[in-house]
Amino acid sequence: MAERETTVGPEEGIHGRPAARFVKAAKGFSSQVVIVKGDREVNAKSVLKITGLARKGDKVTIRAEGEDAEQAVETLAELIAADEH
Amino acid sequence: MKLTGIGASEGVAVGPAFVPATGRPEPERDRITEDEVERELQRFREAVETVAGNLSGTADRLRTSGSEEEAGIFEFHVEMAEDPELASAVEERVGNLESPEAAVLAVGEEFAAEYAAMDDEYMAARADDVRDVTGQISAQLMGRGISAFEALRTPSVVLSQSLAPSDTARIQKGMALGFVTAEGSKTSHVSIMARSMGIPAVVGVGPELERVLGAQTVAVDGGEGYVIADPNADTVAEFERMSGALAEERVALDEYRHVEASTREGRRIEVAANLGSASEADDALKWGAEGVGLFRTEFLFMERDDLPSEDEQYEAYSAVARAFGKKPVIIRTLDVGGDKDLPGVEQGTEENPFLGWRGIRMSLDTPELFEPQLRAILRAAVHGNLKVMFPMVADIGELEAAKAILQECRRELESEGMAVGEVETGVMIETPAAAVCAGELAEQSAFFSIGTNDLVQYTLAADRGNERLRRLQSADHPAVLALIRRTCEAASAAGIQVGVCGEAAGEPEMIPRLVELGVTELSMPAPQIPRAKMVISEL
Repeated sequence: MAERETTVGPEEGIHGRPAARFVKAAKGFSSQVVIVKGDREVNAKSVLKITGLARKGDKVTIRAEGEDAEQAVETLAELIAADEH
Repeated sequence: MKLTGIGASEGVAVGPAFVPATGRPEPERDRITEDEVERELQRFREAVETVAGNLSGTADRLRTSGSEEEAGIFEFHVEMAEDPELASAVEERVGNLESPEAAVLAVGEEFAAEYAAMDDEYMAARADDVRDVTGQISAQLMGRGISAFEALRTPSVVLSQSLAPSDTARIQKGMALGFVTAEGSKTSHVSIMARSMGIPAVVGVGPELERVLGAQTVAVDGGEGYVIADPNADTVAEFERMSGALAEERVALDEYRHVEASTREGRRIEVAANLGSASEADDALKWGAEGVGLFRTEFLFMERDDLPSEDEQYEAYSAVARAFGKKPVIIRTLDVGGDKDLPGVEQGTEENPFLGWRGIRMSLDTPELFEPQLRAILRAAVHGNLKVMFPMVADIGELEAAKAILQECRRELESEGMAVGEVETGVMIETPAAAVCAGELAEQSAFFSIGTNDLVQYTLAADRGNERLRRLQSADHPAVLALIRRTCEAASAAGIQVGVCGEAAGEPEMIPRLVELGVTELSMPAPQIPRAKMVISEL
């Protein structure tokens, strides 16, 4: 299992295009991936679940379990921290 | 009868009313039998595939035609349609003998209710998205697409409770004169779509919309945000006149794209573009940019986990230098602070990132950040007319230090046998301190560029993101104007150029003030260039 804490970057929080981009990236990993915020834990491959989960500046944790867990956590944490331009 | 709402997309229109017969599809059956389960699950998966395929096709089409933002909406919808949690929730309900067309609506409604409950404008729009997508899957399962929009064959004003992106995308080109919706805000998808299509829209009219659904003719003013149902002949004539005038203005503005703007007295004002990346260069030239007054370099540093190499930066700066040839391109060195993470740079947590370690302050303290950037600019300068500008300068010491590092970089490159170009150095005037010390700074600068957005924020001590402080967010304030005047006078005394690259530079009502104060260059988002040139030409 791998996990990493990060801070939400996009101005409007997680939804819309950044959310779609994130989910697309998450689906590229075979590992099971979840985003944890506070006591909520949701499937990182579900755009419906991650939408509205967190706002800009919120701390979230990406956690993955599976063969490519390390890589998934690293890539997805960066992505969620990235600001939209 | 007149209704008011939110003016979401500028322009006026008058024409026949069109009320599409839409709304949520009604499931044909609620329940299925045990032996139908497998077949219904299969049908559900096929419907998802079809709907996702259609949405993805629309996204591709929009992207090809250059509507990047709208394409993003449909990509989001594709992900919603293919969502694994949506699928598993629907499958569970179908397993419990609910029909898939009813199940997908019910699950969509659960998500929509959750978003709507967040009491946030953006999330309310996301609730509409999920209803839209699940509605499409349900309609697909029942063998009907929503075709009212496709069927529209007379140019009309569309009146509806709400409009989903899939609705607006289905309307044939030229058939929608205007949009009026009961729901929605400026950030709703219908508003974004309307603005990109150049169609006037009034949203958020409220339940009052019901009262005008029976109208024959509707007049819409998307700038002022009102709608008139069955207007009298005078109003119709007035709207037709305004609509014609706006169309003429668009044509007239086109003629200004490639003029070199001067005032009637013959004062030449350069009109340049603000760019966020090298890929925007061609578009900016088409709009008539005479140079780049602000090339932001932040894009090179974001969305990655290491710092960009000197070579990578060299490529980006060379691309913009080549695109503009002899025209000047002002590259601003990195301007980030604690509000944005920077890979490999420990910024710490700051209570006031906008008053913190940012811009030139960070660059001077972080040679591994600053030096590769300056080296890349010096090397790229052989391909065009590059200038370098330092952000957030508050005193002469910072400018001297930055120039010394630039000199050192030049010497190093030369001793390494690299080709380097001439690069003028200038200061971004965005702290009140820089404006007050403009005389001293001018002696050591080749140009100034006034960043009015930050100058306003710092001078008036008003956070520019705070909606309650709108009154204090304009450059049209005596204190700000006095600082701009002081900066212009210092520039003029030293014989150097002075530009403005904040929002004020593109505002038609501010341009005359700025020109009068002595500004010699205005830099703005490229689409605003033709209008700015027209305003200058009429001074």
